Amino acid sequence: MAEDASGRTTRGRWILRLAIPGALVVIGVMAFAIFEPIQVLPRIRLGPGFSLTDQAGAPFTSEDVRGDIVLYSFGYDDCGDRCAGMESTVTEVRDRLGEVDLGDVDIRFVTISLDPASEGPDELTRQALRVSADGEQWRYVSGDPDHVENVIRAGFRTWYEPRDDGSVAFDPALILVDGWGVIRGEYRYQTVASDADKIIRHLDVLGEELRNATGAATVAYEAAHFFLCYP
Amino acid sequence: MTKWLIIVGGSVLAALLVGLAGWFVVVPRLQPQVFNAQVMQGVDAPDIELQGSNGQPVSLADFEDQVVVVYFGYTFCPDVCPITLSKLARARAMLGDDADDVQVVMVTVDPERDTPEVLREYAARFDPTFLGLTGDPADIDRIATIYGVYYQTVDTESKAGYLVDHTSTVMVIDRSGELKLLVSFDATDDEIAEDLSYLVS
Repeated sequence: MAEDASGRTTRGRWILRLAIPGALVVIGVMAFAIFEPIQVLPRIRLGPGFSLTDQAGAPFTSEDVRGDIVLYSFGYDDCGDRCAGMESTVTEVRDRLGEVDLGDVDIRFVTISLDPASEGPDELTRQALRVSADGEQWRYVSGDPDHVENVIRAGFRTWYEPRDDGSVAFDPALILVDGWGVIRGEYRYQTVASDADKIIRHLDVLGEELRNATGAATVAYEAAHFFLCYP
Repeated sequence: MTKWLIIVGGSVLAALLVGLAGWFVVVPRLQPQVFNAQVMQGVDAPDIELQGSNGQPVSLADFEDQVVVVYFGYTFCPDVCPITLSKLARARAMLGDDADDVQVVMVTVDPERDTPEVLREYAARFDPTFLGLTGDPADIDRIATIYGVYYQTVDTESKAGYLVDHTSTVMVIDRSGELKLLVSFDATDDEIAEDLSYLVS
């Protein structure tokens, strides 16, 4: 009888010894999922590849921005207030870049024409001048209408439709793409309210991942992706 | 006392089982532990429906339960394409019996010159199982665009007539049809083989 009791006690100790690490793993995993000590931006899907022409008439391709973070926007010359809203958001983000630390990674801005059949370097330059886009950090681009359609509709999944009166109906969108060409942020249906604060916050999160997700820390960042620790 | 031991021990054992289950579910998905390439998560691979170098229409759905390696290149390509396809062939060979679970396809970015016959002969130089895909230029443009691939013809004075600049990234789709890895041109045979081995195992 005494041996039975002793045997049960010994088994109990072994159960505890085995169970404690497992319980710690569970607690750790749950704590990570709940408290989100690391935040990341989702890897939404691949951004499109493209071959377009900028406001200087120079070729501009998706390979030219490989390794850079890019904030894409869409517009056309006579677009009016809706484009002005997006332009003002991008301008604000550009002017506030000092608030984020992206390490060695450059950020670029690219505005793709929604009226590529009519817009060449002259029209793009006119739009670029409105926002002091320098042609290096911020480019306005256009190209073959069929290719542009693939890029905007199929690649960026952004709806637009040319109208008979020469205007273009579209869903305003700003899209953030990382150096691998992966879409990390989509800011849609923006009308009047500025998304600049949100984009700046997201750039900060992305910058932190780029700076810190190396070596063993990569695992922690992948865990953050796994647990959807998104801002 | 015995009752409490059973309750506490049972609870802790349950926690252990959950922990072990979590370990086997979570850890395999922490890809940086095993992958050399850039990882994508939970992204369905855009479909590809083109003409195969085997003379048949080919769709990604044809490779259900296989790992599919997608590369965009062309047969007149002087350097990047043969280097990449050679690496893929060597990496696939390193998988041994598991190689049958990996299908490499090259989508041409030069559909004017790359007919199914030309692609068949070209692909076979690297590995007889490699498939070339071609089709209508508009379809190729759409597929390349959504796979993040840029390409542009460049006139030269060489006998080839023109070359095609293009993105050199290799995309890997897992057995469930999710775009899983982006492999850079710099990846070595060993690194590619390691990543493929993990995906097929």
